[in-house]
Amino acid sequence: MAILTPTKDTGASTKTLPTVYAEPGQQVTDDQLRQTLPDIGMNTPFIADYLSAMLTHERCGRHLYRAVEGRTNNPTLREKYGSFGEQTERHVTVLEELIAGLGGNPDYVSPSARAVEAVGTKLVETTFMLDGSLDPMTAEMAMLDAVFLAESADHANWKILAELVDGMPEGATRDAFGRAVEEVEAQEDEHVGWASDMKLRMVKLQAASTTMAQAGAKVEEIVVRIKEWFRE
Amino acid sequence: MPFNPLDEQGIPVEDQLRNWSELNVEPYDKREVHPYTRTRVILMNGIEVESVMFSHQFARHTDNLEIKQKLALNRRIDQQQQKAVNGLNPGDQTPLETTIGYEQVAVDLTSWLARHEPDPMLKQALDFALLEDFDHLYRYANLYDLIDGGDAATLTGDLTEITPGRPTIVEHRHPYDDVRGHFETHTVDPLSRMHVMTIIAGEQQTMNFYMNHGSDWVEPVARGLYAEIAMIEEQHVTHYESLLDPLDSWLKSLVFHEYNEVYLYWSMLQNEQDRRIAQIWELHCNMEIGQLQVACDLLRRYEGVEPAEILPPALPDTPVTFEPNKQYVRDVLASQYHLRTDGIQYVALDQLPGDHRYFKVQETVNAGGTPSEMVIDEERRERSVDYRDETDGANPIPELQQLKAS
Repeated sequence: MAILTPTKDTGASTKTLPTVYAEPGQQVTDDQLRQTLPDIGMNTPFIADYLSAMLTHERCGRHLYRAVEGRTNNPTLREKYGSFGEQTERHVTVLEELIAGLGGNPDYVSPSARAVEAVGTKLVETTFMLDGSLDPMTAEMAMLDAVFLAESADHANWKILAELVDGMPEGATRDAFGRAVEEVEAQEDEHVGWASDMKLRMVKLQAASTTMAQAGAKVEEIVVRIKEWFRE
Repeated sequence: MPFNPLDEQGIPVEDQLRNWSELNVEPYDKREVHPYTRTRVILMNGIEVESVMFSHQFARHTDNLEIKQKLALNRRIDQQQQKAVNGLNPGDQTPLETTIGYEQVAVDLTSWLARHEPDPMLKQALDFALLEDFDHLYRYANLYDLIDGGDAATLTGDLTEITPGRPTIVEHRHPYDDVRGHFETHTVDPLSRMHVMTIIAGEQQTMNFYMNHGSDWVEPVARGLYAEIAMIEEQHVTHYESLLDPLDSWLKSLVFHEYNEVYLYWSMLQNEQDRRIAQIWELHCNMEIGQLQVACDLLRRYEGVEPAEILPPALPDTPVTFEPNKQYVRDVLASQYHLRTDGIQYVALDQLPGDHRYFKVQETVNAGGTPSEMVIDEERRERSVDYRDETDGANPIPELQQLKAS
């Protein structure tokens, strides 16, 4: 089962910095990363940090999908958020297995992973922290925008990983990376493509609608209209 | 049997509102109360104040109506809890007597947390400030004797020694040197997180109390001492709050607050001998479980995070306990008396370069006399010797040992 939030109980580790403490048992150094992971002719600690950041992005993505699936008023969006969320959880597992298979700790939280989580936290907050100043349609757009932004970064991550694989020497490590990319990349194409298309459709739909002009429209009425979106 | 608050029903928040007579509790008798009952009351008042102020800050950073309303409801209950807890302090307990209780909290809470802290860096942060609060107890005890003719040991029950620590006069640092590094939220032990949250709340309440009670006296030495020590409490809040990982979201922080409150009320209940007050701890523990559920629901709904992902499977087995820590404090004093800070590092005084900003601050704030020294000088003039309660022997630092009466 995928770990969505690494903790001390799950075996989380991190690099200590002058301003970041961890107990000795939770600390990881670049030397340890270099010794643990196989030599692929690259900057191994950087690759470990990058994989940790990618994994963190997937974990944040899973949380985001759970959050918006539960809060969207549109059945079509809900269904996609649900299915993409499950696929994203599978991507978490794929990366966890890749890292563990290389001898690493999937619950290692690199400094770059912390930066990614900071973005992920704020991204999910954009879907609810300002709800009071958003009408229901704008709130739907905010949720979709968060998904679009998350998927854009996710898509870029996997594309970058695929290019890194191309530069790796033949062997088991390259094969392991390759299998992960092969399983996930097509789904990432689908996710970002869907989010982009859906954003276009929502913008066009609202641009052609008179609802926004009806300042006095009741929230319940707007929600009913949102539910009707994308009905074929 | 492990106690997992997430598995408990608690009291639904909607059922927690109390009437005025329930809040206007009968105070304890200051002559009869166990010193550690007083410290428990002081600590839990500080915990509720922190909860309320955190909730207000959170509310100012969102316009999500549901979140604001749920924060408002939880906060109203927290405010009622604060009234019920703080109301246990009797009206005939003077602010200075309460102050001595605050410093006993600081000494014995900090010591206990340090003794049980798994992270050596966090333990160091606790040990460092411990010696300063230990000294505050000594200064206030002398003020109590000087202006009220009071014997502070009757308040502390001889459970906490009263003798100089790292002298208050040397505690005044440059603000940059109060900022520490922080734990990492994923790797941190759940106990460490709660230790840090608890000590922040305790120190913050001490800061608040001195900020508001410094003007209660007519005696200049008392007013000066409160002003001086209030500034150290500002330093301590800066010191401790910087230990928290700022990566946690508002909602996660809310969950952590509520969880810690459950842990602390449960802890207070385990040690409380006063049955009437124990009932308050038990009631509030059940109320906090209900408030925790609200926070967990918000986290689940808005961030898609299952609370069990970020919380431990059960509360720690060991309750936070007020108990004597005399030998521990002596050991820390003996080994860390000369410690200062330089940026985020702890260094020995003799390692600070002569032009360090520490000395500039010292020179500036101590120009024209220092109240924490004046109170001792006046006490010695009045009583020949300064007030101490050294139950286990002389101060371990020779230069801090009592001067013979002349």
